[in-house]
Amino acid sequence: MSRRARPLAALAVVAALALGACGGYDETVPKPPKPVAGGPVASATPPATCPDPTADPTRSYEPTGALPAPEDLPPGSTMAAIRKRGRLIAGVSADTYLLASNNPFTGQIEGFDIDMVERVAKAIFGDPKAYELKVITAGDRLKVLQEGTVDIVVRNMTINCARWQSIAFSAEYYRSGQKILVRQDLADKGVDSVAELKGVSVCAPTGTSSLDNIREQAPDAVIKEAANHTGCLALFQQGTVAAITGDDTVLAGLAEQDPYAVVPPQETFTDEPYGIGVNKENDDLVRFVNGVLERMRADGSWQESYARWLQPALNVPATQPKPVYGRTP
Amino acid sequence: MSQATQGRPAPAGVVTPASRVRSQVAIAGKPAPGTVEDVPRLLNRLQVLGVATCVVFGVVAALLQLLAWQASGRAADNTEQLVRVQQIQSSLFRADALATNAFLVGGLENAEQRAEYDAALDQALRQIADAADAQPADRKVLADLNTEVAAYATAITQARDNNRQGFPIGSLYLQQAGVQLRADAVPILQGLSDANTERATDEMGGQNTLPLFLVGLAAVAVLWWVNRELAKRFRRRVNVGVAVAALAITVVTLVAVVVSAGTSSKHDGLRDGSLTLAIDESAARTAANDAKAEESLRLIARGSGATAEPKWQEKAAVVDDNASRETRLLWQDYVALHDGVVASDDEGDWNEAVRLATTTDSGGTSAALTAFDQASQEVVSDAAESTADSLRSGGVVAWMLMIVALLAGLGAAATVAWGVGQRRKEYA
Repeated sequence: MSRRARPLAALAVVAALALGACGGYDETVPKPPKPVAGGPVASATPPATCPDPTADPTRSYEPTGALPAPEDLPPGSTMAAIRKRGRLIAGVSADTYLLASNNPFTGQIEGFDIDMVERVAKAIFGDPKAYELKVITAGDRLKVLQEGTVDIVVRNMTINCARWQSIAFSAEYYRSGQKILVRQDLADKGVDSVAELKGVSVCAPTGTSSLDNIREQAPDAVIKEAANHTGCLALFQQGTVAAITGDDTVLAGLAEQDPYAVVPPQETFTDEPYGIGVNKENDDLVRFVNGVLERMRADGSWQESYARWLQPALNVPATQPKPVYGRTP
Repeated sequence: MSQATQGRPAPAGVVTPASRVRSQVAIAGKPAPGTVEDVPRLLNRLQVLGVATCVVFGVVAALLQLLAWQASGRAADNTEQLVRVQQIQSSLFRADALATNAFLVGGLENAEQRAEYDAALDQALRQIADAADAQPADRKVLADLNTEVAAYATAITQARDNNRQGFPIGSLYLQQAGVQLRADAVPILQGLSDANTERATDEMGGQNTLPLFLVGLAAVAVLWWVNRELAKRFRRRVNVGVAVAALAITVVTLVAVVVSAGTSSKHDGLRDGSLTLAIDESAARTAANDAKAEESLRLIARGSGATAEPKWQEKAAVVDDNASRETRLLWQDYVALHDGVVASDDEGDWNEAVRLATTTDSGGTSAALTAFDQASQEVVSDAAESTADSLRSGGVVAWMLMIVALLAGLGAAATVAWGVGQRRKEYA
């Protein structure tokens, strides 16, 4: 290279370096997502003390005579106010198969619990469809009643003494009991009762008595929580849990949705008397609902509902529980 | 240019300013006895310095303009990538709005809406592949995004399969898919959007106006100094060759600076105009589809109006802030119909609310949102195309200026060599 060519070559090198340095960018790095605040989960049972723990929690308010006709509801009563509004508002589940779930073909929520809502609506309006459903989680059942967002809650809710401190209940409308649902292979290995759950991951919905019960009955199980039983089924299908616990009615609905989920023959390890929840102040509505339940017993509509929704899955006949009255506001 | 004014030695006995300063320097540039200055060598050095300055100016000025032109091209690429990212987000939210809406009609979903869902998801996946191809720095996060979109599509399929069998778990999978899309895919898209916005605006600012001016100024300063050194030793205030070189460099510098400033100003206009329009309209389209998904979720979670409506309003506010004039009225049409859905739901007429939300006939929210969505897509596409085209324009001018700068530098070097050569001849 001649002397004269050297500076030009140097310039060319500088230019090439300068050009080469352009166009490359640092690798894109997204900002980490903000952590979602997660507080401690409230227990299903509010920390309330029962004045008389030995008293029967299923004891409710006795109906005042025969049910009035829809047009003869006592003036100033809660029922008259609901009638004036034009619809009964009920808090229900939309994903508890057989009890209350959305039918994708009709778009309507249907099931055993919804039949209860329809009967109450019919008693107030003469029209079983005069209701509005609000889909709530198990953890919201007491809150929506206390806040007056709904008139009644029919969401497989167990009557117990602690809940009576916050709300009022109708007489028992179904006697359920807690069981376990397991993966088929676990059932084949003999995991068929709560006593066999040591080391097994079990799901129960947050804020339910099922969660409290499984913690007590199976302390060696690995407990996981989900927002509801359908959330538990999703965890089950994703392999995060191998078992689900809940009321036999709910588990029957879950097992219907997954061929690898079975509810082995077993004794219930709790008694779960279901009641219709009502705001504590509205004892007139509680008496009225109890009158509706009496009517269902008398006209066979309870039996009809049970036969339609639950009996095919549970494979056992059942009768409407006998009401217990005598509670005073 | 006349040698009569330049190369001729000064008449004997005339005292030039130079001779006043340096009395030892002899008249006609011959060194006085006893001095050590070697004028021929000095002339060589001044010539080399002048020539090198002109060549360096030509090369650097051309290089700076080449870099500026390349920066404009990269700004166009980054703008296209930014809009691509925004369109991925819009397509995903469009798909989500359609999938969520379909749940309200169970297994009997509208075939057209289903096809539109497939098309939206397909479009998002293709755009991810295009984006990965266009920008290597985005490739890793786009691969992560691809995984998230695949997981979303799987969850929706799972949801749909369960829904078609009448199983309530289908709706849970749907909700989980939506939550996951917003929690995992949106931060990635935001990161991509931020990175490409920064790249595009940085490149738009890369017009090198000040460096061009400084390079020209430095070259002229060096030539002035060369001229001054020559003038000190010869009775000529101005060396014509050096002066012509300085003039050429000044003119080229001024033209380049004016063109560069004009391009910068044009880029500022694009940044505040069509680029902002494309970004804002994309944000509006995403938020509008997000709002539609919220409307459907409100109806799926029956009776959840009190908690769901504020979420819808939050998305609607984003649309209000970002929608262009072309789409604003279409959005208002949707809002009026959405109010009808809310009114029906709040009055307890859930069936009517669902009918209004799911019908694809005019009078339903789905048709109104589709009209907005299509218009919005067009606005984004036109604005993005116009931005990129404008950024890529001006290539002929840029190349001409580069060539002129280079030739001017080389030409100036030649005139400097010639000008100093004249002094050498004179001295000899």
